[in-house]
Amino acid sequence: MGEGLEQSFVKQLKDNQNIIHKICRLYTSGNDAHKDLFQEITIQLWKAFPKFRGDSKFSTWAYRVALNTAITLYRKSTRSVQTVDYEKHSFLISQEDYNSDEEEQIKLMYQAVYQLNDIEKALIFMYLEDKDYTEIAETLGISEVNARVKMNRIKGKLKKILNP
Amino acid sequence: MMEELDLLKKDWKKNENSFEQVSEVEIYKMLHKKSSSIVKWIFYISLIELALGFVVNIALSFTKYDTQNNEFFKKWGIYNYYIILTVVIYIVVFYFIYKFYLMYKKISVDDSTKQLLTTILNTRKVVKDYVIFNLTSFALIFITIFSIGFYHIYIDTMLKKGIENPEFSFKILIISLLIIILVTGIFTLVFWIFYKLLYGILLKKLLRNYNELKKIDL
Repeated sequence: MGEGLEQSFVKQLKDNQNIIHKICRLYTSGNDAHKDLFQEITIQLWKAFPKFRGDSKFSTWAYRVALNTAITLYRKSTRSVQTVDYEKHSFLISQEDYNSDEEEQIKLMYQAVYQLNDIEKALIFMYLEDKDYTEIAETLGISEVNARVKMNRIKGKLKKILNP
Repeated sequence: MMEELDLLKKDWKKNENSFEQVSEVEIYKMLHKKSSSIVKWIFYISLIELALGFVVNIALSFTKYDTQNNEFFKKWGIYNYYIILTVVIYIVVFYFIYKFYLMYKKISVDDSTKQLLTTILNTRKVVKDYVIFNLTSFALIFITIFSIGFYHIYIDTMLKKGIENPEFSFKILIISLLIIILVTGIFTLVFWIFYKLLYGILLKKLLRNYNELKKIDL
């Protein structure tokens, strides 16, 4: 692996780092866990980089590798599963511009999303990123139909969490 | 449900650029954390090497060559030295392996570039010392045992031929020494190539990491 490759990777990663940050936001709570996951994803991306041929955009490729890393790691860690308390996440919600009703609703939504499992979070993440089902299916390695079915189930699950 | 999701999406997009940005230097550092896995491999390989040495020794002790060798060593009066030397070599090898272990532990917790640079340099030095120790001790032992063996076998053969008070002529001495050195050289070279392949690749990777890190450090 030449130095040029490394430099190009570092540069592209820096420019696209928000993708990773956003995944960390969904999968971790707290600053340390965020940094840990960021580093792990960075290493996994670097390991996979030689296989990245540039026939897709760096960002598209990064979505796939980063999300799969998060899913794998999240599955391994048992401690963080569903024990995330929502106060920790309240920093995510910006205070301005929302009336209190909306604000409350958003808080509840985040809270609900954090209770989803690893795959479900990945789907919600892609949804929030405005990806269409073709891309969701491709990124997660499932069929488009499957992606739609899963998304509907997630909506149902969120509804249930919000209105028990 | 769609309403709430849309609301969430709105908020998500709003916060899209709120993350504390990671610099290029920090990304470099993350990548070169992998130095620790290289050092881990150096430690593992040294362990495997030691284990292999044990296995070969144990396997050999079941063959007649080993007993034959030991008998020769006893006959030539070097058996005790041979045992002591073996023990000393094992102690030194254990010391090196312990050092590899310490460095692996250290590199895993190094968090500043400076510390990482020092540990990498140190590791390279210790590995080089280890290889030099192995090669020189092998060469010296080989030369010594070969010379002693050659001398005794020569004398024995001469005695059998009925020559009384056989002596080593200067010519024979030079020729035999040359042969011994040549054979030792060839064996040592083979070992050296083996080490070069085994540790050389890892050391090269470490050096590359070192150079990259150095760029960051400046």
